[in-house]
Amino acid sequence: MMAAYLLPAFEWLQHTPLAQTIRHSAALIATLEIVHLIGLALLIGTILMVDLSLLGLGIGRHPASQIARELRNWTAAGLAIMLASGPLILSSEAERCYKTPAFWVKMALLALAVTFHFTIHRRVALAEPPQPHPSARLVASLSLALWIGVALAGKGIAIFQPA
Amino acid sequence: MLPFGLFLLSICQWIDSTRLNVVMRQSNWAFPALDTIHTLGIVLVAGTIMLVDLRLLGLGLRSVPVAQLVGRIVPATLGGFGLMLLSGGLLFSSEAVKMYHSPAFRIKMALLALAGVNAFIFHRTIYRDVANWDHGSAAPVGARVAGLLSLIFWIAIIAAGRAIAYAPGYDLG
Repeated sequence: MMAAYLLPAFEWLQHTPLAQTIRHSAALIATLEIVHLIGLALLIGTILMVDLSLLGLGIGRHPASQIARELRNWTAAGLAIMLASGPLILSSEAERCYKTPAFWVKMALLALAVTFHFTIHRRVALAEPPQPHPSARLVASLSLALWIGVALAGKGIAIFQPA
Repeated sequence: MLPFGLFLLSICQWIDSTRLNVVMRQSNWAFPALDTIHTLGIVLVAGTIMLVDLRLLGLGLRSVPVAQLVGRIVPATLGGFGLMLLSGGLLFSSEAVKMYHSPAFRIKMALLALAGVNAFIFHRTIYRDVANWDHGSAAPVGARVAGLLSLIFWIAIIAAGRAIAYAPGYDLG
């Protein structure tokens, strides 16, 4: 479990008027989850395309760098949609999330995935000329594993209720 | 009730009476595990289809010929769809009669059919001479309409799927 000093912040978050409004509206929660899922589809779809290219399974002779350049704004849009809807969903059940290990696993994986995406992954994906296959493949595999891990842990928050 | 409705209801009642239904209900992990696979499946399907839709609309991957993109991405879409169908069928078998009465479930099935018809018409008409417009960044109007419809249908399918969990429609029985 996370350090206890964070608990007051989660309690405060859940008691804000916005969080209370969301918490008491099934329609709002459902809508936010739908938006969150659409963001995820956009994020995973675009990253999959770039990572397939890095794995040597790309489109014809189009280099990964070209695919990555053309899709980077859509990946960013997917991430922005998720980062806008996610904290709102979190706020409506902040105290439960605090007690759910899957939430902390997701936050850790998300931090890793975002950091990796905007540093090593970005450098390798946009590299001209393309990076040699072994390292590009490793980066693509890690990227896919991290983002799928984030998605699975997200589903885990709903499935694993705190003891 | 219409005879066809009664027919579907009796099929759902039969599914709820099978051993599969009992197994699904008694297992603590089957539903969440299949639900997780189902979500990953829809994310894969919607995510890959969105790429094609954005290309048709001229909003992304403009340098990539449409046929090459479709050839590469459709296997992943079909894989995701297979996951969705298999996990969805099993989830359905655990509460078939409840799904029969759920408005959100009915809407989702109708939207899936519409998305299928849209893709079928696109492949049978405009896509047949894709070689003629493959390389241009702007696809013909028909292709753009198909792309836009597809985007709308799949977003609506995600929405209806999520709504099933929130609006089960018990009261319609």
